[in-house]
Amino acid sequence: MLFEAHSINAEHKDLIHDVAYDFYGQRMATCSSDQFVKVWDQDEHETWNLTATWKAHSGSVWKVTWAHPEFGQVLATCSFDRTAAVWEEIVGEGTAPGERGMRHWVRRTNLVDSRTSVTDVKFGPKALGLLLATCSADGVIRIYEAPDVMNLSQWTLQHELSSKLSLSCLTWNPSFSRQHPPMLAVGSDEANQSLGSKVLIYEYNENSRRWAKTDSVPGVTDAVHDISFAPNLGRSFHMLAIATKDVRILTMKPRQDVVVQSGQPRFDIQTVAQFEDHYCTVWRVSWNVTGTILASSGDDGCVRLWKCNQMNSWKCVSVLKGDGTQACTISGAPTAQGTTSSAQTSSSAPSRKFAESAIEKSAPLTSMWQPAVIKGRFTKRTWIGAEPAPPPSAIDKSKSYARK
Amino acid sequence: MAKTMFITQEGPANALALNKDNTQVVIAGRNVFKVFNIEEEELVETCNLRVGKNLNHLNFSCNDVAWSTNEDHVLATAATNGAVVLWNLNRQSRSKQEHVFVDHKRTVNKVSFHSIEPSRLISGSQDGTMKTFDLRIKEATRTFYSNTESVRDVQFSPHSHHNFAAVSENGSVQLWDVRRPDRCYHQFTAHSGPIFACDWHPEQSWLATASRDKTIKVWDLVSKPVLEFTISTIASVGRVKWRPQRKYHIASVALVVDCSVNVWDVRRPYIPFASFNEHKDIATGIAWRGDPHTFLSTSRDCTLYYHLFKDATRPASKANPQGVAFNSRGDLAYACKANNNLLVKSTKTPGNSKRSDQSSDEFVQASSHMHWYNKKMNYENIWFLGCASQYMLSGRPLPDLCDHNASVAENLGRTTVSLVWRMIKILYSPRLGDFGLQLGIKDDQVGGNLKDKDGETERRDKKEEREGEGSSEEGSKKTKRQLRLEDLKAGTDSMGDFFFGDGEMDPLSMDFERGNSVGLCVDIITHDWTLPIEAFPLRHEIQDSSPPPEQLNNDSPEPSDETQFLTIEDPPSSLLTVNWVTRAPMWDSSVVISNALKHHANAGDVQTCASVLIALGEKRRNLNHVLDEAIQEQWLTAYIDILTRYKLWDVATQVVKGLYSWCQGCAHGGHMKHIQEWLENNVECPAGCGHQCEYT
Repeated sequence: MLFEAHSINAEHKDLIHDVAYDFYGQRMATCSSDQFVKVWDQDEHETWNLTATWKAHSGSVWKVTWAHPEFGQVLATCSFDRTAAVWEEIVGEGTAPGERGMRHWVRRTNLVDSRTSVTDVKFGPKALGLLLATCSADGVIRIYEAPDVMNLSQWTLQHELSSKLSLSCLTWNPSFSRQHPPMLAVGSDEANQSLGSKVLIYEYNENSRRWAKTDSVPGVTDAVHDISFAPNLGRSFHMLAIATKDVRILTMKPRQDVVVQSGQPRFDIQTVAQFEDHYCTVWRVSWNVTGTILASSGDDGCVRLWKCNQMNSWKCVSVLKGDGTQACTISGAPTAQGTTSSAQTSSSAPSRKFAESAIEKSAPLTSMWQPAVIKGRFTKRTWIGAEPAPPPSAIDKSKSYARK
Repeated sequence: MAKTMFITQEGPANALALNKDNTQVVIAGRNVFKVFNIEEEELVETCNLRVGKNLNHLNFSCNDVAWSTNEDHVLATAATNGAVVLWNLNRQSRSKQEHVFVDHKRTVNKVSFHSIEPSRLISGSQDGTMKTFDLRIKEATRTFYSNTESVRDVQFSPHSHHNFAAVSENGSVQLWDVRRPDRCYHQFTAHSGPIFACDWHPEQSWLATASRDKTIKVWDLVSKPVLEFTISTIASVGRVKWRPQRKYHIASVALVVDCSVNVWDVRRPYIPFASFNEHKDIATGIAWRGDPHTFLSTSRDCTLYYHLFKDATRPASKANPQGVAFNSRGDLAYACKANNNLLVKSTKTPGNSKRSDQSSDEFVQASSHMHWYNKKMNYENIWFLGCASQYMLSGRPLPDLCDHNASVAENLGRTTVSLVWRMIKILYSPRLGDFGLQLGIKDDQVGGNLKDKDGETERRDKKEEREGEGSSEEGSKKTKRQLRLEDLKAGTDSMGDFFFGDGEMDPLSMDFERGNSVGLCVDIITHDWTLPIEAFPLRHEIQDSSPPPEQLNNDSPEPSDETQFLTIEDPPSSLLTVNWVTRAPMWDSSVVISNALKHHANAGDVQTCASVLIALGEKRRNLNHVLDEAIQEQWLTAYIDILTRYKLWDVATQVVKGLYSWCQGCAHGGHMKHIQEWLENNVECPAGCGHQCEYT
């Protein structure tokens, strides 16, 4: 994968804690300890221009996130000052010269329920309406709802859940399926290993109308700094990326045989990948829109990109250095989809390469259609490829993480 | 002192003070007034000053307490009733009260000893005055009128012995010379709200002020007051105290909301350098124990805490120093902490600075680099956009759609996707379906009206053949069919064409489905079947029975009747074989297709899944038994979501702004002008819903 690095002079006076793209990827918001939020817009030359900057909080602003554009141009922020805020961009409709078309951001609400630093804030999936979840350092998850999406100044606190762990991050399951009840996962940066798992899964129960903890992810006992559900574009399972002392990717398969109330784990959770390549604390994880590439960044000052090949094993495909250089491009094994393109190959070469690989591959491909390989209790996959053998080490490794 | 420790009292203290050699601490509040020895492992109460007959006397109710800077036995308190009370710990009697100055008219907020002249005491009161007292003559010597409503804090300057600073509720700072009680020599407005506290820097000519406006400001008072630093905190600031031996560090406590004691580095005014979160309620007083490593604090939660600096939490260390985000085009934004450490270390002469200074310097140098990585040669993007714009998903017969889409995918280099389309074409081609269908129906006939069904099949057969005749030559047809079968094996491309439109396809596929359900019924009888074995005979079946239609065309219809008859004879011979034969439709394509689609979905390629589903149209229902409708819906909504991210929508689906009208019949509409233009030339709804719109 080839990237062209551009430096952006953000001019924040302190650390930038979060960067967020809007739904379309053409606007960007940054937030910093300097208590400011900045909004950047991309022009037709693909240059990012600062279009708004304002003091949002009276403490470090930890996270910034965009709402679905259906609800307008709306941002939410959370801060060390124990509040979360919802902001809306207003396009001036006044008649005075210079007033018309002027854009500015106004605070629509300030959510002051937390008694400690609010460490993360995320809008819920659009299908659920306008929901906002926050988590705080004292371990409380709060779910707010704007009953009237036209009135962003009115939010009601719908649910308050206490996890008893200092929380650092949260993520909604973005699934589009009505079969999946609303779900979110939270991570704790509590360093004390004896307190058990640092990633907890909460699910909404339609019958009891309550959120309840259904699972705690086994094997994650170190401080968790970031957590992210992969966009679920019709996968039968959920994927969760975790930034802890390493990068982890988990799959979560809903169990069919479990009654929700029974208190048993709702998901069959397996670790499909675990990377220690950063050699130090991993701070962030982020998925691309299709959930096929994971970006992780750590104290080594590098962004590493991970991609799953068709053998179901995750490989590093690129390393980007924080100083704007691309450390290296790792060519993965060519797949039938042709995911490789290195800096060296000219623009015409790849397509030819794809064509070749197609000829090589096509013969075995169709003849290798095989019935579902039943592996273990819950792993079911259809296998295509030259080898009839089931997927390699990643899966074997993951078996050890499966429930005893 | 080895550890952070605390002791709980019967009431909250408003203030605390240390004696000059920092071995004892006094705490004072409305209901508590005690002296403790600071010992190695604990705080030991040595004296309770709240003794006597009249404990409710307001002289005991203290806003502030000060320990003489020279005499170890002299204390002063500021009482809520306006008295300044002097205490002598060396008094033999139980009561240590030495003298009461009743000069102020209202509550006294603050008392403070002069750092060099131990007999000089100053007080600041709610009545807006400050008074100095001479402890030798036990008299108020001077009164300073601030001309403000109330004085909240007053403190002698450590740098010039005649000067003191006073802060008041109107947000102003006054600098006085004790020799000139008529007026202050400097006055300036420091905050937009009441100032609750001030503290002189022990070495610099700096004065820190703490206000309800949530800020701490540091003023350089060397000549004219210059604002050096502003720290904005999350709540009203109640007290501030500079950290000894650390030029830039200052401790603060909040008046509301925040229970922690924060130590700030004024050069990084956004996040506390260290934070002490032991208190359960807001802290009321802080006192450094003469060194930068220990301090004591009182709180409204009735505790007195002894803090070790090393036990502090460092909020900055938990703060995530990086941000990374993907956008829908695969570009990546990345912000990370700028690493200046190497640079700093190289410029510093070794041994010049203490270790703690260095960590503090690193703390201060907090800035981020931000980069935007524009993805070049973004094949996923090209694929997606190419397919999204070039795919044909309806309006033509399925095989045509498949061919078109397969070639679109092929041209974009997506061979797997191309194969999927070809597979769909093959599996849903009427020919193959037909064989399965015939067998399935035959099975049906075992249980029911043979004749009718048979006739129906035959008729259909003929119809198909006729259709075939019309569209292509027989000779080429056979070779093409063989080609197609080979396709199944080899997967190579054949641009095979198909002879049947949607009209023929539909009833077929419906029967096909029926065949399926029969297969499912049989399934219950024999469990031990396996897919590969089944699939194998199917091919033979096809090969065996492929000739009949050809013959049918070449010869008269009669022989074909015979072949049909023959196959019908088959079933009664043995039930097992019948089951075997019916398995053919069971191997049915829907399983393969759904697996293929699921595979693509799991690989994140929902585009293929959704496109195939749409292209299949009504035939999509055939998949329902293997592919949950909810999953199908999920794929479609997910695909729509991604298309939306790329803004691949029609003008017609956008939200209309301005003057608009809509048809009451179908609820579609648009800008009035545009609708008018459209309707001049058209009758049907512009949205394509087929409604004949009426606008009245």
